[in-house]
Amino acid sequence: MSLWVKDLRFDYRSFSLRVRDLRIEEARLTAIVGPNGAGKTTLLKCLCALLPVAKDSLFLGRRDIALLSAEERARLIAYVPQEHGSAFNYAVQDFVLMGRAAYIPLLSTPAAADVEIALEALAYVGLRRYASRPYFELSSGERRLVLIARALAQKSDILVLDEPTTFLDPKHETELMDLVRRLAVEKKKTVLLTLHNLDMAVKHADAIVFMKNGGVVAAGAPDDILDEALLESVYEIKMSILRHEGRRFIVK
Amino acid sequence: MTRKQRVLGWLVILFPFVVFFISLSVGVVRIPLGDVFKALLSPVFPAMKEGLPENVLGIVLGVRLPRLLLAFLAGAGLSVSGASLQALSRNPLVNEYILGISSGAAFGASLSIVIFRQSFPPQVSAFLFAVVAVVIVLAISRKSDSPIVSLLLTGIIVSAFFSALLSLVEFFASPYALQGLFYWLMGNLGWPGWGALSISLPLMAAGTAGLILMRWRMNVLSMSDEEARALGVNLGREKLIVVILATLVTSAVTSVAGIIGWVGLIVPHLVRMMAGVDNRRVVPLSAALGAGYLILADDLARGLAASFEIPVGIFTSLIGIPFFILLLRKSKRIWL
Amino acid sequence: MRSFASLWMTLRRALVLAFISGAFFAATAPSVASSPAQAGPSPALTVKDDLGRTVAVPAAVKRIVSLQAEITRLVVALGAGGELAGIDYTMRRHDHLFKYIYPDEARLPVVSMAENNVNLETLVSLKPDIIFASPFEKQIVEAIQRKTKIPVVALASLGDTAKLADELKLVGRILARERRAEELAAYFSGGLGRVRDRLKDVPAGRKPRVYMSFWGSLTRTPIRYDPVAIAGGLNLAEKAVPDVLGSAGTTVNVERIIAWNPDVILVHGNYLPAERTVTVEGILGDSRFASLKAVKSRKVRYTFGFWNWWDMAEVLLETEYLAALFYPERFPAFDLGRRCDEIHKMFYGLDGGFAKLSAALGCDEWTHD
Repeated sequence: MSLWVKDLRFDYRSFSLRVRDLRIEEARLTAIVGPNGAGKTTLLKCLCALLPVAKDSLFLGRRDIALLSAEERARLIAYVPQEHGSAFNYAVQDFVLMGRAAYIPLLSTPAAADVEIALEALAYVGLRRYASRPYFELSSGERRLVLIARALAQKSDILVLDEPTTFLDPKHETELMDLVRRLAVEKKKTVLLTLHNLDMAVKHADAIVFMKNGGVVAAGAPDDILDEALLESVYEIKMSILRHEGRRFIVK
Repeated sequence: MTRKQRVLGWLVILFPFVVFFISLSVGVVRIPLGDVFKALLSPVFPAMKEGLPENVLGIVLGVRLPRLLLAFLAGAGLSVSGASLQALSRNPLVNEYILGISSGAAFGASLSIVIFRQSFPPQVSAFLFAVVAVVIVLAISRKSDSPIVSLLLTGIIVSAFFSALLSLVEFFASPYALQGLFYWLMGNLGWPGWGALSISLPLMAAGTAGLILMRWRMNVLSMSDEEARALGVNLGREKLIVVILATLVTSAVTSVAGIIGWVGLIVPHLVRMMAGVDNRRVVPLSAALGAGYLILADDLARGLAASFEIPVGIFTSLIGIPFFILLLRKSKRIWL
Repeated sequence: MRSFASLWMTLRRALVLAFISGAFFAATAPSVASSPAQAGPSPALTVKDDLGRTVAVPAAVKRIVSLQAEITRLVVALGAGGELAGIDYTMRRHDHLFKYIYPDEARLPVVSMAENNVNLETLVSLKPDIIFASPFEKQIVEAIQRKTKIPVVALASLGDTAKLADELKLVGRILARERRAEELAAYFSGGLGRVRDRLKDVPAGRKPRVYMSFWGSLTRTPIRYDPVAIAGGLNLAEKAVPDVLGSAGTTVNVERIIAWNPDVILVHGNYLPAERTVTVEGILGDSRFASLKAVKSRKVRYTFGFWNWWDMAEVLLETEYLAALFYPERFPAFDLGRRCDEIHKMFYGLDGGFAKLSAALGCDEWTHD
C-alpha cells in the first residue's frame, strides 16, 4: 500500500510543517533525513495520525486517514517508537501480543491465533527464544527489535519507524537496517523511517526524502537526486560524495 | 505457565469462597457449619428451619450473610479498581481513591450526617459526591496536554479540596453528629442491611465484572498514550470506560461501608509479586485475593474481641502494610 | 585590646537591642482586661478542678463565661443566669430547653465552638471573672488561663451522678449560692435515693438486662450509664471493655446484641426526631432482632441519654422513668408528664416543661406501647 501526502499542515507553537504532494511508494524502503528540527518526527507522527490531521490531507492507499477509526488505521499503518519506558515489566511475548489490539474487541482476550501471530513476529526478528523474558532484561538493541515485532504483529502494510538506529553500535545498526530492508523486499511492506545517518540511508533506502524547516526539499531515489549541492543546501555545510567499491559515502 | 503456577492460580481463585463459607460459622455465637447450611437453604426449603435455635436464622441470614457478601464483593471490587487505575496511570503506587472518591464520599457523608439527616441518607450522599469528585477531576484534566499526569495531580487537588470542605462541616458539627461521622469514616462492613445492599452489591458486581472483562485491554492502556493510539486504541473512550467502572465500584463500596483503605493498593501488588504484571492474570487474581483478604480482615475485626468491634479499615492497614513491606524485601522478581 | 573593645561594643549593642525589643513586645502585648483576679483583693476561694489544677477563684463573681454546657445549666439552676456573659455554641444550637429555662439567652454571645475551641479575643472582651471549661486537654485549659489571666475551672460529671451532685455544690460555692446548691443537691440525691430504696431487695438475677443504643448508632453503647444502674437495670455492655482509657462508649457488633438477647433496649432519645438515625420503630421492625425478648415484649423505648454531658434535671427524671419501665409493679404511680413538670419547676422555675420538651423530642409518646 502506498502513502500519499496530498496537503499536510501541522502547526505547533513556532514550528510549522507543510508537506505537499509527497508519494511514498509501496513495498519500498523510504528514508526521511534532514537536520535537527526539520520536522521528520512530526511528519512521521502525522502519517500515523498520532497528531491531528485534517481531512483530505493524507491518504493510505485510497483511504483518507482522517476518516478512519483507530482500529482501522492501526491495521493499515504501524508505528515503532524510538523507545519504550514503562512502569511494568511485561514478558516479551505479552508485549508483542499488544500489537493485536486492533483485532481484539474491547472485552475480549487474545485467542490462540493472536498468540501465534505474536510468536511469529518475534521469530522474524530473531528473538523467539526470549518470549518469556521480561522486556527490560533485554539489551537496548534487542528491545528495539521487540518494538518492531510488536508492529509486525499488527499485520499492517505500512510500517513507520522513528530513528530506529539511534544509540545502536555499527553491527546492530547494520542488522536492523537489513531487517527493515527484508521487510520491504520479502514481506512487501511499505517501510518508512527517519535516519540521522545519511550513509545508512544512501546504502539501504530505495527512496530518500530530504526535509528542512518543516518542508520537503527533495524526494526520490538516491541515484536520481543525490548531489553535493542538495546536501549543502539541506545541511548547510560542505559535503562530498565519494565512491568506493561501488558504494557511495558522504564525507563532511 | 508451569503446572505449579496453574495450581497456585486455582488456589487463589478458590480461596475467597472457602473463607466465605468458613466465616459464616465464625462469630460471637457458635453456629456449626451444618446449621449454617440449613439456615442458608431455609428461604428456599422452609423445612430446613426445623430444629434450629431461634436466633440462628436472624444471625446467619440477617447478620453474617450480608456482611460476608459485602466483604467479598467490596474486597474484589476495591482490588480490581486499584489494579485498573494502576494500569491506566502507569503507576503501581496509585490506589483506588486517587481520583478523589474517598474525599468526595466523606464530604457527602458529612453533609448527610451533619446537615441533611433523614432527607438525604449518607449512602446516597456519599455515592453522589464521590461521583461528583471524579467528574470534576475528569473535566479539569481533560484540558491538559498530558492527560495522565494531570489526572493524578488533579485527583490529589480535588481530594484536598473536598477534605477542606469536610473539615469545614466537621467544624460546625455538634459533637454528637461528629461522632457519627467519625465512625463512618473509619469504615464498617456491618452497617448496611439488605435494603442498602440490594442496590450497592449489584453495582459492585457489575463494575467488577466489567473491569475483569477488560483485563487484557489494560495491558495496552498501560502503554504510553502515543503507543496505545498507534496500536489502534480509542484512548479517550476506553480510559473513560475504565474510570467509570472503577468509580462505580469504589463509590458503591464507600457509600455503604465507609472508607476501607489499602486494599486496592496492596492486593494488586501482592498478585504481581506472585504472578507477574500481565493484567490477564493480575485483575482476576486481585479480585479473588482481595475478596478473601477483606473477609479475613473483617473476621478479625468482629471476632478478635468478644464484646467490641474494631473498624475493619484499621485492620486492612495494620495487617496489609507490614505484610507488604515484608514481601517487598523478600521479593527478587523484577516486576517494576 | 582593640578586639576586646569591639567585642564590648557588640555586647553593648546586643544588650540595648534586647532591652528595646523586650520593651517593645511588652508594650504591644494584648492588653489584658483588668480583672479583679489579677490586681484586686486576695481571692476568697481555692478550688481543685477535674484536671487536678488548683485554681484561685475571686470572691465576688459577677460575670461568668461557661464553655461547658452542663455547667451552664447548673449556673441557671442556681439562679445565677443573670451573671452569664457568654456561652458555648452547643448551648445555642443543640440544647432543646435552654431558651425556655433562660429566656434571656438570646443576648448571650457565643464564645466557643465545640467545647474548648474558644475565641480568645471575644472571651477577654467580655471581662468575665471566671471561666468554666471541659476537662479535656489540660494544655488548652492552661493556655486559656495563661493568655486571658482569668481563672479557668474545668469540670464535668463524666457520667457519674455522685460527681454531678458534688459539682453542683462546688459551683454553688464558687458562685456564693451554697444554700440553693444544697437544696437542689438534696432534691436530686433524695430523688435518686428513693428509687434505690424501693429497689433494695431486688436480687441480681431478677434485674432486667438492658442494651443501650446511643449516639445515633445501633452498635455504639455506653460502658457505664448510672440512671440504668440506679433504676435497677443491668447494662450488658458494662463488662465489655476495660475502662482503662476512659472511653465513655464502645462499639459492639449486631451479633453480640443478638447473642445477649436483652430484656430491654433503650434508644438515645435526645436527638430531634428528624435527626434520629436509630429509632424504636426501626428496631422493632428489624428482622434480625425478631427473636429478641425486648422486641417480642415491645420493651424498646427512648430514653434521654447523654446530651452535651448531662442535664441534672433530666438525669433525675430519666432515672425515675427507667425505674418505672423496669419495675412497673413497684412504681405504679409514675407519670412522666407530671414528674417532668415538677422537676423542671424545681430546678429552673419553668412551667410546662414537659410540654416544651415533648414539642422538641416527642417524649409524650415514650410511655405508650
